Amino acid sequence: MPQQRRTIHSKRLFVLACAFFLILINPFLNFYLEWNVIQGWYQSFGVGKLWFVSPLEGLESLLVSKQIYWPTLIGMLLPVCLAALLGSVYCSWLCPISFFCEILDYLKKKVTGRKWLKDRLLLSRRILWYVLVAEILLSMILAAPIFVFVSPPGLVGREIMTAVFFHTLALEGVIVLLVFAMNLFSRRLYCRYFCPLGATLNIIGAKRKLKVVQDITRCTDCGLCDRICPLGLSPSKGMAESIYCWNCGECTTVCKADALNYCWETGDWRAQERLSGEC
Amino acid sequence: MAEQKNRFPLKRREFVKIAVSFLPAAFLLPATARAMALVRSPVRVNRLRPPGAVPEEIFAGKCIRCGRCVEVCPYRSIELLDIRAGVFAGTPIIRAEEIPCYLCMKCTQVCPTGTLQKISQEKTRMGLAVVNRHLCYTWQSMTICRTCFDVCPFKEKAITLDQLRPVIMEEYCVGCGICSHACPVTAADGMKAVTIEPIYSWE
Repeated sequence: MPQQRRTIHSKRLFVLACAFFLILINPFLNFYLEWNVIQGWYQSFGVGKLWFVSPLEGLESLLVSKQIYWPTLIGMLLPVCLAALLGSVYCSWLCPISFFCEILDYLKKKVTGRKWLKDRLLLSRRILWYVLVAEILLSMILAAPIFVFVSPPGLVGREIMTAVFFHTLALEGVIVLLVFAMNLFSRRLYCRYFCPLGATLNIIGAKRKLKVVQDITRCTDCGLCDRICPLGLSPSKGMAESIYCWNCGECTTVCKADALNYCWETGDWRAQERLSGEC
Repeated sequence: MAEQKNRFPLKRREFVKIAVSFLPAAFLLPATARAMALVRSPVRVNRLRPPGAVPEEIFAGKCIRCGRCVEVCPYRSIELLDIRAGVFAGTPIIRAEEIPCYLCMKCTQVCPTGTLQKISQEKTRMGLAVVNRHLCYTWQSMTICRTCFDVCPFKEKAITLDQLRPVIMEEYCVGCGICSHACPVTAADGMKAVTIEPIYSWE
């Protein structure tokens, strides 16, 4: 059983790599082969006639322009459903920033020779909500959506596209480097406290179906899960079920006592858990 | 003493004070100008939005900078602005004299936010071509050139010939910029003899 669970980490890396590979190869296909079936990146992603719109960007666009445009709403539907059911899995399983952070974490571990990475800067998690509110307010005051052109995952896609199409790089790419530099203080410092998109997805996924649930009877209090959590949450204290968890599943891979597991909850899961002992 | 005061109502000390107080303004003004440039639209002569664009006031608000219009454009006409364009960073622009819009209308098909709306080629109004009669060789009677007339996709409608001189017909010109791209005359300031004025962008 632990053998099987350990694969979650490699599975996640594989999905992250595929998601990055998709937006990496996409401008090349469009530019050199003029194959336009897939366009865009994770701000808006089009596969043929089906397109996805990132919920925060779509929301900003609708709020600022104060017009309802159905294709945008329909494009937002699938990401919103995904977040409502699975939580902010976009952040941990798809986001290109996450992909680079995983690589950087790996390198950092190799260079320092440490098995666990430390978080040196800890802030209040509530900052996330303030950032989201401030960001939406500022967008509406300026009548120009802010996150759409400084969104780090969007910038990764835009930089790749600019490099392929115009053989140059856009200046705003430094924001991405800044986000990576923030990792020096804490793992995923930007994702934890400052990402408005993450905050939006967290809110949508507040009542998510897929959760990492702790079986308190099995927990041996070893604290390994607290050390591995890239967001610095404490799954040992039940924080994996909180709104901040992004369902990466790292904590389930280290739990030797099999106390942490992904659970698909149907109906009143707490009652169910009490009845069955586990979910 | 009183006479002296009248002769020099402004004491040197006061003058210096006032002069010094204006110094920050000298530094602030360019900064303000730069700040204003961050919210000023990049749309101007021969800098056009792709076809079907919503009015420029709400363009920056509606566009989510997904770059899909750039990716599908088969002529590479559409470029993305970078952060130097301020709040317009990441929005698409067409530099008409470099690569004009050939009206394939693919970008309007993929825009996810309706910033580029689906319209027909004839209804597109990216701008209006304007012939500078002081520059145009034909209007200056230097030669008989009808390049703009020949390349116009709406020949005899958008550009007609009046005694072999090109005349723009406002009701048919879509502002694609093909004429400006093809125009052989370039003035000292880089302007072509026929340029696209984005006069519909604010409607």
